[in-house]
Amino acid sequence: MADEFPFEISPMFEGERVRKGDMYVELAGPKSRGFELVRAVEMDEIEDGKFTLIGPDLSEMEEGTRHPLAMIYRIAGELVEPDLEAIVERRNHDFQNYIQGIMHLNQRYDIWLRVSKGAIQKGLNSFESIARAAMMLFKNELPFIEKVEATYITDMDEIEKELVGAMEIYSARDERTRDLHDEDVDTFYGCSLCQSFAPTNVCVITPDRISLCGAINWFDGRAAAKVDPEGPQFAINKGKVIDEIGGEYYGVNDIANSLSSGEYDRIKLHSFFEYPHTSCGCFEVVGFYVPEVDGIGWVDRDFAGTAPNGLSFSTMAGQTGGGKQIVGFLGIGINYFRSPKFIQADGGWNRVVWMPKKLKDKVSGDIPKDIIDKIPTEEDASDLESLKKFLIEKKHPIVEKWAEEEEAEKEEEPVSHAPVPMGGQSPFQMPAFQMPVPAAGGSGVKLIFRNAKISIDRMIVKKRD
Amino acid sequence: MTRVIAITGKGGTGKTAVAALLIRYLARGDKVVLAIDADPDTNLPETLGCDSEKTLGDVREFMLTDRDNLPPDINKESIFESRIFEVLVEMPHYDLLVMGRSEGASCYCYINNLLRSVMERLVRNYDTIIIDTAAGLEHFSRKTIRKVDDLIVVTDGSRRGLRTAERIHDLVDEVEIEIGNIYVVANKVTVDNKEKLIELAKELNLQLIGMVPLDEKIAELDLKGEPLVNLPEDSPAMVEVGKIAKKLEL
Repeated sequence: MADEFPFEISPMFEGERVRKGDMYVELAGPKSRGFELVRAVEMDEIEDGKFTLIGPDLSEMEEGTRHPLAMIYRIAGELVEPDLEAIVERRNHDFQNYIQGIMHLNQRYDIWLRVSKGAIQKGLNSFESIARAAMMLFKNELPFIEKVEATYITDMDEIEKELVGAMEIYSARDERTRDLHDEDVDTFYGCSLCQSFAPTNVCVITPDRISLCGAINWFDGRAAAKVDPEGPQFAINKGKVIDEIGGEYYGVNDIANSLSSGEYDRIKLHSFFEYPHTSCGCFEVVGFYVPEVDGIGWVDRDFAGTAPNGLSFSTMAGQTGGGKQIVGFLGIGINYFRSPKFIQADGGWNRVVWMPKKLKDKVSGDIPKDIIDKIPTEEDASDLESLKKFLIEKKHPIVEKWAEEEEAEKEEEPVSHAPVPMGGQSPFQMPAFQMPVPAAGGSGVKLIFRNAKISIDRMIVKKRD
Repeated sequence: MTRVIAITGKGGTGKTAVAALLIRYLARGDKVVLAIDADPDTNLPETLGCDSEKTLGDVREFMLTDRDNLPPDINKESIFESRIFEVLVEMPHYDLLVMGRSEGASCYCYINNLLRSVMERLVRNYDTIIIDTAAGLEHFSRKTIRKVDDLIVVTDGSRRGLRTAERIHDLVDEVEIEIGNIYVVANKVTVDNKEKLIELAKELNLQLIGMVPLDEKIAELDLKGEPLVNLPEDSPAMVEVGKIAKKLEL
């Protein structure tokens, strides 16, 4: 196939670096301007294989110089739709790198190319050859593209002008991407990077739930799993939904079972109290249940002080980490605060009763307006008493719930001093504290404590009448 | 195939000087060299006489702090790769990568995983890699560099220096990376300690591959803060480093 091109084309040239000393020209990059863009258009809008160059060609560029570059491809076909633009655009990086003597880095408005002296010596003298090779590869490798047209721009003024429109397209695309939710996809991704120190950890990454370390979103998982399906990030077929609000899926439960070696067989992705996600140790933020106010507080790694429960991040992280599923504590990535499904099984933001100020400021844009001023920080509440006072004063929605609970308590026999939270499992469970319900007809209770630290002010155990 | 050589040793033994002289020696040939400064406490760039403003550590921090501001579906590895290329200092016959600050308290699992894959691709572009690394071999335990052909432990004339060489020998087994050969280069050698060094190396079962003589010129340049590339070709230290390179078949 290479006869018509003055260069070789092969995936083996990927990763080939053109060093400064071997470089003929540098295009776009951190010291110049440029972008790459793919647009989906109607079949009759373009002429297949057409190439247009605006600005000087390679042959007019002096050795050792730097020039701006924009690469715009218009694609058409029966199956071509705007949603495919980003995926197709990403392939330009691969195809440019398949060409011997061309280095292509980064994407969108950050592209950075170099053409080697060797390529020029072999006869490369026009952008047309490069564009033709790219167009050929687009059609060969992505057969749904029936027609493709390329425009390259090396004129700075023209690039600046076109870039304005391109930026709008990129940001519209990002808006659409951010609007992707768990229910829109069939595949979630898992990550096993933390399993070396948290062997039973099951990290599930979904469009609405970033990894606990905050580093890997659903798209990163997809990209990595595609390159290396056996690698640390892998696909999870989400399977049928069991609990939509809690975020429980058959596929996730299956993977939880195998990843944790049978330790856990249920995980609810958006639940704090019922079968919560496991916590690795890398998490950016830890959530903690405050039984005295029946709410959830959050503290991040950067906060050096103690939360109103008297514990610091590192103390709570120590109890939570290690890949365990612990009711009462939950490790999350900061970006999960921005998720519309943020602990939705437990009331979402209405259940949040404390955050360090810096953390709150960081995610303030995503906290619902009607609750934002009702969530105290270390400036408003430093212990349980001041926390309670603040919540009452600001009429935090949790306060209403206390009243309901009290009503309920009056009707029933009071069992515990603190309000009992909603949720299926025991409300404040310390690490690996199991309290199985005795089987029907059984006599007696089995209590297992492992690694337990328990401090109780008052406890009343009554015989049932 | 890329030949990877790591140079390590206790602080003050002059390992960075040996690394710089070796890079200088190699850069005269037609091979393409990547120099990696993996010791945050030393100053390979200054010793080589090149400016390095930003480090790989800075890029790593950028990736951590800015990740939520990036387009959600952007390929992070490709951004990371491009940013690393930006901090790579391109000299006429070699490139220099400064690893810079060490990790903070956040989780670096994912970013180091990306780094491993970027490094794997980058390394393939060079004939020889010279890594100036701290005695703790931190970057090797992160497996950002997976394989080392030759580990050179630089020691001074002291018994303690040679003991360090012995300890590094043991450490190598712990970091679980593939290391081909381990050699020792004695630095700042004088007529007085030469014989004793040879004997001691034998006793500790260390393979002594070269003895760089104490060179007044190096101390002088060091004092003035001038790069070692200004050292005359025929200076005794430079001549000895040339011999070591030949022994290593570089």
